Amino acid sequence: MKRSIIFIMILALVLGMAVGCTRPAEQDDTVVIYQNKVEIHEQLTAFAAAYEQATGKKVIVKTSGGDSPYAEALRAEFQSDRQPDIFVIEGMGGYNTWDSKLVPFENEEWMNHTTLQFEVDGKIYGFPVAVEAWGMAYNKDLLEQAGIDPATLTSQEAYRAAFEKIDSMKDQLGISSVVAMAAGPDMRWVTGLHNFNGYLSAGLPYGDTTILDMLNNGEYDRERLTEYVDWVELLFDFADRTVLLTGNYDSQVSQFATGRSVFIHQGNWIDPWLQSNNIDFPMGFAPHASVKGEHNAIFIGAPSFYVLNKDSKNLEAAREFLNFMAMNEIGHNYMVAEANMVPAFTNVTLLPEAPLSANVVEWLAKPDGAYTWLQNDMPDGFGMGTIAPIYEAFAKGDITKAQFIDQLAARISEIN
Amino acid sequence: MKKETKDKVVFAAFLAPALFAFVMVVIIPFFMGLYYSMTDWTAVVGRQVNWVGLRNYQNMFNNVAFQYSFFRTFLFSFLSVISINLIALMFAFLVTREIRLRNLYRAGFFIPNLIGGLVLGYIWQFIFKEVVPAIGGRLGISLIENLLLLSDPNLTMFGLVMAFTWQYAGYIMMIYVAALLNVPQELLEASEIDGANFWQKFRNITVPMIAQAFTITSFLTLVNSFKQYDIIVALTAGGPTAIFRGQVVDSTELLAVHIYNVAFKYNRMAEGQARAIVFFLMLSVVSIGQVYFNKKKEIEM
Repeated sequence: MKRSIIFIMILALVLGMAVGCTRPAEQDDTVVIYQNKVEIHEQLTAFAAAYEQATGKKVIVKTSGGDSPYAEALRAEFQSDRQPDIFVIEGMGGYNTWDSKLVPFENEEWMNHTTLQFEVDGKIYGFPVAVEAWGMAYNKDLLEQAGIDPATLTSQEAYRAAFEKIDSMKDQLGISSVVAMAAGPDMRWVTGLHNFNGYLSAGLPYGDTTILDMLNNGEYDRERLTEYVDWVELLFDFADRTVLLTGNYDSQVSQFATGRSVFIHQGNWIDPWLQSNNIDFPMGFAPHASVKGEHNAIFIGAPSFYVLNKDSKNLEAAREFLNFMAMNEIGHNYMVAEANMVPAFTNVTLLPEAPLSANVVEWLAKPDGAYTWLQNDMPDGFGMGTIAPIYEAFAKGDITKAQFIDQLAARISEIN
Repeated sequence: MKKETKDKVVFAAFLAPALFAFVMVVIIPFFMGLYYSMTDWTAVVGRQVNWVGLRNYQNMFNNVAFQYSFFRTFLFSFLSVISINLIALMFAFLVTREIRLRNLYRAGFFIPNLIGGLVLGYIWQFIFKEVVPAIGGRLGISLIENLLLLSDPNLTMFGLVMAFTWQYAGYIMMIYVAALLNVPQELLEASEIDGANFWQKFRNITVPMIAQAFTITSFLTLVNSFKQYDIIVALTAGGPTAIFRGQVVDSTELLAVHIYNVAFKYNRMAEGQARAIVFFLMLSVVSIGQVYFNKKKEIEM
């Protein structure tokens, strides 16, 4: 009796394992999209459901959060037998890692409506997920009080004059510093990626990669670097020391949001933070004067791209899904109204509600209103890992300006 | 079947699952790791893996950030082993005495151990960034009010030791409590009659009697401080910066964090693996040495 019970239990266990191992019935026409934006997971899933309703084709949305955890999770996803059909890369770094897995888009309708696609050697590999941009975001009211027209902020000289004027009116304006700037350990993306991108692309025509190519070959333009460091020094000099050295995202954004700074060195991704805290004073972007000369553009780009897995069995269905997102009104509504993104496609007529995002759309419409995003095309870890600590050391005063330039130059030369 | 063979079969059958799991998840990955540490592996499927010999190891020892991280890890471990054991022992003495609310203290000291390292790191970050300056402001001491604790490499190191001690001392205290309760009372009473003071009793009776606990606690604290990762990531994110040999380095990027960053931030998997191997060897030597040394001091009743 006992023996038979044990036998049955073992049988059940073995059967259970066998069932557990068999995969659910193959759904060959289901597209799996594996993406990295936790904040839009629900909206994207809802859009996928709407897509299924409209076309009868099923799309499964899988998400894993953050930026670096996604890269790791994606590796695991590929090591397993559940390869996604569509996944996300963030630029050249991702391309170099995954190039053996990618297949280009060809003759898609959406290509006619965007300039922000991810392209290598004339082949289009990436569908722009959204547009993001950063510049010197300013508080319109405070600037007006200080008697400064944001349209005049186009060069380092103009910024210096404006900063000095605002700094002298600190008490009157109720601010603790002119700029909300952060260079501490939590904020290395601000200095090492966003700020440094000024050295790579400011003042150059859109898409010009001369300086980036030099960097990737271990070369640098000393004069340009010196001009750029002037800009860094200017920002650091007029920043709040606590926020600059130990601040995190919240302390930097809240300094700006509570009117304790006139400018903030951040992009339109701070909109949700501001909205959820009911901050609604008028604001906009002014250009970064990263190097000498006149500037009339902010840094606009697509932070991430949907790419196709070469080994996917549903390439056609995956393509159709992305095309639907860019070309159909349901897709437009999802991108702008539901997910609160700035769409990368000119055929979208909906306008974002949030003030900074709306301002990005204005800049995007200006001729030559954009500088290129090249910060993701540097070697892995170079921006945040290698050079960002040097900014922090400079901000603390551990190294002089000359040493700062030398250190940056030395780290660039070490790239092979 | 003979009884002997039957025993052997049963023995093997019981051992097999554990052995299988151990081989699959420890032994095989370890040797695979050893192999990968001598290649240019990137963890991308379909990429050719090339043999590079000992180049990853050479790069590692020439890397200023690694050298700095290595020394800092030893410093951190040294400081936290001392601080955790000292405080845990003091707590243990306190809660084994006849005092009121003894069990409440025991629970209270132990509870920080139940908080995850990440949460705890953020709590202490808040304390160092917001609470300390606020207290300074309240007291009117501008030095404390304007102190940016987490921007100074040495202060941050002490901050880390403090946070780790706060988390771990309660757990170690429990081990000491168990050991202290096992010290034979008659020995202590006899020595009291002979006129021994507290210090003499402690040195000549208590310490030898709880030597076994010392072996365990120093092993646990040593290994855990060497492997410390989550508190660092949450509390300091590797910063602030320091200058070492003319280069800017991250002052609290201890080895575990450093290895993770090399592998995943710089995407140099094989180099990270090489560093992990060295980390493993170093940790083995240190901990085996410590256990051997401590074991010699233990006494049998």
